[in-house]
Amino acid sequence: MIPIFRRLAGSFALFVLCASAAGETTPLTPADIADAAITDEISIPMPGEFMSALSKLDKMDWKSKFRPPIFTNYPSRAQLALNLGGLIADGYVAIEAEDGPQVKNIGKDVLAIAKVLGVSKDVLERSSSIANFADTAHWDQLKEELEATQNEVKTAMAEQKDQDLVTLVTVGGWLRAMEVISGQVATHYSPLGAKLLRQPGIVAFLIKRLDGLGDKVRAEPSVQAVRQKMVEIDKIIAFPLTSAPSAEDIKRLNAVTSEILKEISKKPSK
Amino acid sequence: MKRFAISLILSTALSMASIAKVATTNDEVAARNTALELAGAFGNDGFKLRDGNWAGTIAPGKPQVLQVNLYAGNQYWFTLGATPAGKKLAVSVYDETGKPLETEPYQGASVAAAGFAPQASGPYYVKVEVVDGASTAFCLIYSYK
Repeated sequence: MIPIFRRLAGSFALFVLCASAAGETTPLTPADIADAAITDEISIPMPGEFMSALSKLDKMDWKSKFRPPIFTNYPSRAQLALNLGGLIADGYVAIEAEDGPQVKNIGKDVLAIAKVLGVSKDVLERSSSIANFADTAHWDQLKEELEATQNEVKTAMAEQKDQDLVTLVTVGGWLRAMEVISGQVATHYSPLGAKLLRQPGIVAFLIKRLDGLGDKVRAEPSVQAVRQKMVEIDKIIAFPLTSAPSAEDIKRLNAVTSEILKEISKKPSK
Repeated sequence: MKRFAISLILSTALSMASIAKVATTNDEVAARNTALELAGAFGNDGFKLRDGNWAGTIAPGKPQVLQVNLYAGNQYWFTLGATPAGKKLAVSVYDETGKPLETEPYQGASVAAAGFAPQASGPYYVKVEVVDGASTAFCLIYSYK
């Protein structure tokens, strides 16, 4: 059976020639669109998808996108969750760079934060397979393993009734991916690259989630720093389908996401 | 690879634990396994499987719609699995205005898939439906490259 499916998957280039259900299908109604499900699990793209699209446009120097190690023992659980998401996005950058030691270092930091958050049990098991895949250069498997790690952390948080932290992990990862991609597009601007940053539905979804956080979590300085800038981010990346943001817009997007990440990864003052 | 397959199965089982909208019932888990069987074949062609899934129940004449965010330049397979009650299924993809888009369709017993390569980055909608059969648990997963 597999060869049949392989041929099927390999025939993407013939899309336009293929029989398709499109002609027989009626359009969605505004009510269908309004009622469409949107879930953290599958509607929000993983950083790997974003990076995969960017790699097709540009020859990337992924190692130049590494950032210095961040602190892993913040007193605020909200701040820990935001940084955990960012670290997982860092993991994707390290995988794209095919840098095994960096993948393992990030894996250790993910585990350190997961321990402080009390969700390290499953990550511990994952971290050894992440190290094995990094040692044997199984980069594609590593991407899937990293996503599975993130989902397990989120599942553990949800089991602990910490749904707010699930949102913050998603937001942190999305912001770090946005910083990396906007940095690349800002340095090597092209309208095609800039159009990759178009994500209107996601910002709206994340803003809704941030506004739905508990009062205490919403009052955290790191969370406030994120929420305040989301509207500005939305203005830049919710552009119409037919246009592309300017190089200046992308530079601003990169500056805003960098500012937020610096703020949320800031070491607490003693 | 065997180790990876085991860890994937474990991750599937673990991620089914408690987050709403992921496969949680026995029927949804069976539907996910059906979808994974087909999606695994796409993996041979370099498609990376997203760990997350979207699960629930669909009845004939009552399709369900999910919003996703896709990137121009990537290729995607959306794979839908169901229980044997959902004999024939369909997956269709729409742009952000609700216009149906051309996809490469695949249909099997209680499983269907749509291959799609977006021309523009942004939100898209994926509709899942029962074309023939009874009300069934379903699970949608997707792969990209």
